[in-house]
Amino acid sequence: MAASVGERVATDIGGGPLARAKQRAALVPDLLIEASRIANNVISGWHGRRKRGIGDNFWQFRPYVAGETLAKIDWRRSARDDHIYVRDREWEAAHTIWVWADPSQSMLYKSRMATVSKQSRAHVLALALCDLLSRGGERVGWPGLSRPYSNRNAAEKIAMELVAARSVHEKMHTIDIRQHADLVIFSDFLDPLSEIYRESQVLAQRNVRGHFVQIVDPAEETFPYAGRVEFEDPETGNRLTAGRAEQFKADYSRRFQSRKDELKQHAQRMGWTHIVHHTDRPASEALVALHAVLSGNFTFKGGGQ
Amino acid sequence: MSFLSLGFGAPLMLAALALLPIIWWLLRLTPPKPNQELFPPIRILQEVVRKEETPAHSPWWLTLLRLTIAALIILALAKPIWDPPEDQLTGEGSLLLYVDNGWTAGRDWEQRKKTALQIINEADETSRPVILVLASESTKSDLAANNAATARERVLAAQAHPVAGNDSEILQHIVSQVDAQTIGNVIWLSGGLTGKETSGPLTSFASLADNNATVFSPDISQTLSLASVRNEPDAMTATVQRLSGTTEIAGTLRAFDLKDRIVGEQAFTMAVGSMSADIRFELPVELRNEIARVEIVGGDTAASVKLLDERFLRRRVGLISGEKNDFAQPLLSPLYYISRALEPYSELRQPVGANVDEITDALIELQISTLILADIGTLSEQSSAKIRKWVNEGGMLIRFAGPRLAGATNDRLVPTPLRRGGRDLGGSLTWGTPQPLARFEAEGPFFGLNVPEDVTVTRQVLAEPVAELPDRTWASLADGTPLVTASKTGRGWIVLFHVTADASWSNLAISGTFVDMLHRLTSLSSAVSTTDAAETSEVSQAPWRLLDARGQLGQPGDQAQPLVIRTGTKPTPSLENPPGLYGTNDGFVALNLFEGARALSPVSELAGSNISVRQYVDAAALELRPILLAIALGLLALDCLAVLWMAGRLNMRRLARASAIALAVAVAGSASDSVAQENSALPEEFQATLQTRLAYVITGVSDVDEMSRRALTGLTAFIGSRTSLEPGPPVGVDVAEDELNFYPLIYWPVSVDAEKPDRAAMARVDAFMKQGGTVLFDTRDQLSGGFSGSGTSAETFWLRELLSQLDIPPLEPVPSDHVLTKAFYLLDTFPGRFFGGNLWVEASTSDTGGRRPARVGDGVSSIIITSNDFAGAWAVDPSGRPLLPTIPPDPRQRIFAYRTGVNLVMYTLTGNYKSDQVHIPALLERLGQ
Repeated sequence: MAASVGERVATDIGGGPLARAKQRAALVPDLLIEASRIANNVISGWHGRRKRGIGDNFWQFRPYVAGETLAKIDWRRSARDDHIYVRDREWEAAHTIWVWADPSQSMLYKSRMATVSKQSRAHVLALALCDLLSRGGERVGWPGLSRPYSNRNAAEKIAMELVAARSVHEKMHTIDIRQHADLVIFSDFLDPLSEIYRESQVLAQRNVRGHFVQIVDPAEETFPYAGRVEFEDPETGNRLTAGRAEQFKADYSRRFQSRKDELKQHAQRMGWTHIVHHTDRPASEALVALHAVLSGNFTFKGGGQ
Repeated sequence: MSFLSLGFGAPLMLAALALLPIIWWLLRLTPPKPNQELFPPIRILQEVVRKEETPAHSPWWLTLLRLTIAALIILALAKPIWDPPEDQLTGEGSLLLYVDNGWTAGRDWEQRKKTALQIINEADETSRPVILVLASESTKSDLAANNAATARERVLAAQAHPVAGNDSEILQHIVSQVDAQTIGNVIWLSGGLTGKETSGPLTSFASLADNNATVFSPDISQTLSLASVRNEPDAMTATVQRLSGTTEIAGTLRAFDLKDRIVGEQAFTMAVGSMSADIRFELPVELRNEIARVEIVGGDTAASVKLLDERFLRRRVGLISGEKNDFAQPLLSPLYYISRALEPYSELRQPVGANVDEITDALIELQISTLILADIGTLSEQSSAKIRKWVNEGGMLIRFAGPRLAGATNDRLVPTPLRRGGRDLGGSLTWGTPQPLARFEAEGPFFGLNVPEDVTVTRQVLAEPVAELPDRTWASLADGTPLVTASKTGRGWIVLFHVTADASWSNLAISGTFVDMLHRLTSLSSAVSTTDAAETSEVSQAPWRLLDARGQLGQPGDQAQPLVIRTGTKPTPSLENPPGLYGTNDGFVALNLFEGARALSPVSELAGSNISVRQYVDAAALELRPILLAIALGLLALDCLAVLWMAGRLNMRRLARASAIALAVAVAGSASDSVAQENSALPEEFQATLQTRLAYVITGVSDVDEMSRRALTGLTAFIGSRTSLEPGPPVGVDVAEDELNFYPLIYWPVSVDAEKPDRAAMARVDAFMKQGGTVLFDTRDQLSGGFSGSGTSAETFWLRELLSQLDIPPLEPVPSDHVLTKAFYLLDTFPGRFFGGNLWVEASTSDTGGRRPARVGDGVSSIIITSNDFAGAWAVDPSGRPLLPTIPPDPRQRIFAYRTGVNLVMYTLTGNYKSDQVHIPALLERLGQ
């Protein structure tokens, strides 16, 4: 008998994914959350927002407007000519992004065609995103695990917490997620769609913008099984025996595809985004797609690849 | 157990057939096992997959297939035999089996062997001891009862031999040796033919076992033997004999020459009742003379082949010359040409002495077959009479003319009267031109020889023109005068060449035709063997080509012994001297199975009434087991395919590919083994073969090794920039582990801190040096005592101990004319980091005497020893600058050290090529350029 198509691999969190995440993140330019999306929250960051505001760095000189406090006047500049100038600083504020990877059993699945398990890929992507965002000065957090960090080494901290947290909740703790935050969910989204709809609806009402990154093992999409196969659900242990598995390939693929489309439409309805990533593709692909979505550099039509 | 014609060797196994229903039940219960697969999106799949219709049991045809396989295997285990042999053994007690593996076994040895094995198997089943007697080794075997397994092994190992065993002797031997009380059965697997005298011993043999006696006899109506082959004047006649004239037989007789080419073929038939037939080969005499072997086509025994040796026997030739002072100037002696012509074919006897009478006596005593008298004019009455008597008995006298013969009178030992006295034409012959040879007469033995165009005769003796002269002429000149005349005298011949045997009268003697003529003449002479010889000499002839049991000529086996021929006796074939040809290509003796007819009777006629005579079982029992197992195996393969198909793993394209691969593997067969072995060589070793690389020995002392590596890096760079050789990066080798053969030169720095390689490693180094590699030892101690100094430094001592394990030739410091001084640069010293130490190489054995600029000598010195620390001078740092200063600090010394290195490498790579190059000026000078 040939070796089985898929297997359950060990959980892969902590140092390994972090190192790989750092590698991936190093390839991607700094990520700055689309400024237009930012609410005027008062949490100061250290990355300029390309508009004047509270910050340390020089932004522009502008003529003094009566009524402003005299302390703002830049006397050195004003001494050069007859006008009085005020030194404006660049507004430096941070945005909070929550990053969460599905810790469920099904994520540990890795097929022969994939290079890593879904869980491993999700963690790499999540930590790479954390690293990218913290490099850009954003506050990054992991719901249910940590408060948002604004440090440069947020990725390391989150990785450490992930290692430290022995028991990870299956469900996301949404209690910490405040208004106007961004939420990036790495999951295979194999739970019943109705459940996913319900939870995301709650968050959407809080004005949270969500990003679904659906991580798909190629075996789940192509269904490379034939002959008499007994399928086992890694989460529930349910078994299902198919006499001639190849007969179901077409039906299954159609069903899987339509489910993916449904999820995407749902995300679009809420103004969220949906990216599909396959574990046989390089992680950087998803990271670049995420970068594009989060920085708003192009109009994201949803659906990923 | 046997019914119909199907028997079972192990019928109890059939009971296992009762298990079939259980197997059927088990097979029905077990559905094929599904593949276990993890599959996270099982929820989606659930919506698609209908409730699984797992069959409770495998399909009926699969069950049937498997039941068939099981039944086949059970049947095979029961050892089924189609047409099982009938039982041969009746009595109780041990079995006495006498197997004739003599010449008659050539035809049906396999059948006889099979019958013997069958009988032994039967004895084995009843655990009866077996006394096995093989005819070929009758008197040697001890006739002890053995178990059947031993007997079976002996029968399996036994071979048929082309010898005629003496059945009556063997049977008597058996009867006298065996205790009759213990014998239950006696069986003789006979060849069907035996001597009449066997009748008596056969009766007593049969009575050993209270009439439980059986004689197997093959069908002898087809057994033919070639009784004799006679070369008669007009034809060669072969006599074919047989023993049973009940049927008509048609056959073919073939005659072969020495090179196995068919010379003649003659069909014959033997009518009912006729027991022998004479078959005549009517062929030209020279074709008949070529015949070396006559055989009955399909005879398949040694008796159906007759080997002829008459023509190929080495003749003993006596030479007598009239001249006495022959030996000083051999080219002027007539005997010189005769002996040169005859030596390859004959045994020459040339007694020393001046007395012709004594010589003649001595020669005739030696039983020569041919006597050559070169220009002997007058013989004494006594000798003349002796020679005439000898000729009458079959001797061949060949005479050559000459001044003495021409001047002799009253010579009667000539074929035709000659013109004598003043009538000879020797002195006053006034031919206009020397006469060439005419054709050879068809009646003579020279017919068919090439007539040489360049042979001319200037003088000759002339024959009287008598009436018989044309009949007696074998060769004549263009003008019709006889050149060779001959007459038959009694059983022998007198032949006269009318010219001399040297080149004085004619250049015939120095032509190739002369050789052929003499060869034919000696072949014509019969091999005389007078029986009343006083001395009995013994001649031993090595086996050359021997007959096997089927009558095929082949290489002698390891049992064959040289054939010892005593005068007066005829050798008989035996196990050590099977029939065949003994001697060499040029002359041999043929030994035939039967000389002449031999009285043989069918065994069946000799057997008394108390002996049952049977035929050998012709139809062999068919063992069904392998067939059944093969069918079961095929069905098993079918079952595998079916299971694969049911599991959905039967991919047609993959199947085709797999079968193609299987076919390719099968075809490639054993050849692929060697390829696979070659491919398994290590990549590093491949790498080593791609480029010439310098190598150094890893001593285990890190700074020494590092120094070696840098030194060879420096030398490699130097060689690359100065010569057309571009070596690869240097390699460190571990003499105990690495393959050394890829490196022409291995640098071995001696360090006292290094561990000495063990004996096995040194053996590898020794082999490397013996196979053409060179090891450069560097003691690096010139400063501290030196290899050549009086004191022995620690390094030198270390090296001495190391080399004591090797086979080292004598060494010498490089002499000034050694190739090493000229291999690339002209050098007279070989400095390294130090200066002054000698470079030692293998001592050259040849001495040039100082005239040549380089000494010749093959091969490259396998060992070179220095104390100058070459590595220290060659070593460079990564930027290419020298690492260590030379001592004394002279920049030229480093250059010379590098040049030394280049010369060393060139020397190891090109060998003595340079020493050949130095001859070029001399060669050009000789060519006049």
